[in-house]
Amino acid sequence: MKKTILIVLFFITLIACKKNTKPVEISNQTVTEIPLNYAKGFSISATNQYKILTISNPWPNADKVYKYALVEDSILPKIALNRNEFDGIVTLPINKIVVTSTTHLPGLELLNAENTLVGFPGTDFISSEKIRALVDSGNIRELGKNEGINTEVLLATQPEVVVGFGIDGKNKSLETIKKSGIPVIFNGDWVESSPLAKAEWIKFFGVLFNKEQQADSIFNRIKTDYLEAIKLAKNTQTRPTILSGAMHKDIWYLPNGTSTEAQLLEDAHINYLWSDSKGIGSLSLNFETVFAKAKDADIWLSPSNYTSLESLKNGNPHHATFKAFETKNIYSFTNTTGATGGVLYFELGMTRPDLVLKDLIKICHPELLKNYDLYFFKRLE
Amino acid sequence: MTSLKTYKISFLVLTVLLVMCFFTNISLGSVYIPLKDVFNSLTGSNTSQESWNYIIINYRLPKAVTAILVGSGLGISGLLMQTLFRNPLAGPFVLGISSGASLGVATIILGSGLFGSVFAAFLMSKWSVVIAASLGSFLVLFAVLITSLKVRDTMAILIIGLMFASITASVVSVLSYFGSAEQLQQYIFWGFGSLGNLSWHELLIFSIIYSFGLIISIGSIKSLNTLLLGENYAKSLGLNIKRSRLAIIIATSLLAGTITAFAGPIAFIGLAIPHLTRQIFNTSNHKILLPAVFLFGSIIMLVCDSISQVPNSDLTLPINAITALIGAPVIIWLLVRKRKMIF
Repeated sequence: MKKTILIVLFFITLIACKKNTKPVEISNQTVTEIPLNYAKGFSISATNQYKILTISNPWPNADKVYKYALVEDSILPKIALNRNEFDGIVTLPINKIVVTSTTHLPGLELLNAENTLVGFPGTDFISSEKIRALVDSGNIRELGKNEGINTEVLLATQPEVVVGFGIDGKNKSLETIKKSGIPVIFNGDWVESSPLAKAEWIKFFGVLFNKEQQADSIFNRIKTDYLEAIKLAKNTQTRPTILSGAMHKDIWYLPNGTSTEAQLLEDAHINYLWSDSKGIGSLSLNFETVFAKAKDADIWLSPSNYTSLESLKNGNPHHATFKAFETKNIYSFTNTTGATGGVLYFELGMTRPDLVLKDLIKICHPELLKNYDLYFFKRLE
Repeated sequence: MTSLKTYKISFLVLTVLLVMCFFTNISLGSVYIPLKDVFNSLTGSNTSQESWNYIIINYRLPKAVTAILVGSGLGISGLLMQTLFRNPLAGPFVLGISSGASLGVATIILGSGLFGSVFAAFLMSKWSVVIAASLGSFLVLFAVLITSLKVRDTMAILIIGLMFASITASVVSVLSYFGSAEQLQQYIFWGFGSLGNLSWHELLIFSIIYSFGLIISIGSIKSLNTLLLGENYAKSLGLNIKRSRLAIIIATSLLAGTITAFAGPIAFIGLAIPHLTRQIFNTSNHKILLPAVFLFGSIIMLVCDSISQVPNSDLTLPINAITALIGAPVIIWLLVRKRKMIF
């Protein structure tokens, strides 16, 4: 009998010792979705205790949805979150952040949060003067390359969150960072299919920095400017024909008709000669096809990474046989760079489609936007 | 052994086939150009559309000539190497020619940051890649040659060539690691190989160097046939092994080196064409093999190029993908059918 009682007591103790991991019931909390206008790759919702950031499309055809809880540090001890429910729990406010793509930088800068940036892979690519100054003063550490981030240096900077991006979710260094307990949030701005959807990702940074309203008003201004520019371009009588891209070896790479680049051209009311093409990624055509179709195109935009007429001709003598080359009507964004050679368009173009669109309108309809100076594009010399 | 007469007929058939493939290659492409206009532009008359004339004369014609040079040159240098090393797996690149070239190209493209802006203009020119590839392959070959003078055994040269290839590959991977996305893209495109981006001017230089290689190869026919008997036997017949070895290596480096410099590392052709020729001609006499390899190599390359252009569609495929895709099954079929290899 004694034995039985002892055994029973022993088990009771065991059960009592078991850690209670059941989360605090949050069923009485209503989750409200914060609406987004264009972006489909992420969503923001909020309970009265914390916010939830959901990334549903971190890379093309992603089969997993990533959920992150964003909790104020004053509230964190008072609630018990089920860790299994989230891919990461981020404590707000964020004082130290690491981002991994130059496209993430404008979001920080527009929200006046650039001072929280402590590390970046490939600092030479940074164009923004404000952020460059922080690099020069040693506030932002160089982390190596995105595909092989120097994990030791990153851990030494002690960020509260790392904003990464993945082509397919297989990034070993980001995995290592995750294992060390630092939440890694995948940013999928580049997967979005329209210029305004890409720009709306500023709200992603808005929610991270508790600056939702500021992010909203910035985006609304960009959106209004963009839509007004479309209206302005629609009234033009002429639609100049456009050739884009350039040859690598004997293959000509140019944006397909469903790409963001092609949408911008459409919105600028210009006739991109491959606007009816479909597919994923860029078109790879051979010289004959492009020559037969675009030999007499009025304007040539973004001839790959060529920076001058001479280099374009040296790259391939066929380039020089197009009418746009003879009339020197070639415009590229490759010559607008930061102090260390980073191309500004790659950094800011996604966040500011209004400026890209105005550039295109200014180039193709010079009678409009008389007082506007080109921001990204320059005529090739 | 088939009689010389049969060879004459075979050569005649192959020559006719080559001419036919050449014209078929020129008349096929992404853009449909009627045969009449193809003929008109070749004879210098007016075509219905001005752009067609440009496409035929400045794009398709140089591409077809390049295909002939590349196919025949790689075939011949593959034959030379297989005979020299008496190894059916040898190809034009066993001496590290393509790895040397890739080292040169990688240095110029991926390491452009190391050179500063002084070289920027030079780096953007097309010649930079050609010169870099030639220099790279020459350097590796030179190293192999120097060691080959010290080494008695031909097999040792084969191993040394492979070792040099490994060294260059590791340097390239270090350079790749530090290269930017655009640079990597440029380097990878070079690796795909291409026939269609040479101007007439470049083609002229290409042909001149190629001709030297071809002449030396023809001059080596006798020593190649003697080498088939084995080195010791060849020595007893009074063949100067070192000198003929040098001549064969120089011929290969001129052929394979320029081809790699101008068209990139084209895979498979150099290894497969000699086998194909041996199986069909049923001989190992280089007097017959060399011209036959020349014709076969040209024909196969023209056919591969025609296929890679995917006629009447906007699509093109990298030439390197096609050569092996078409060539390998043919070789397998031949070997299975004959049940033994003629080597």
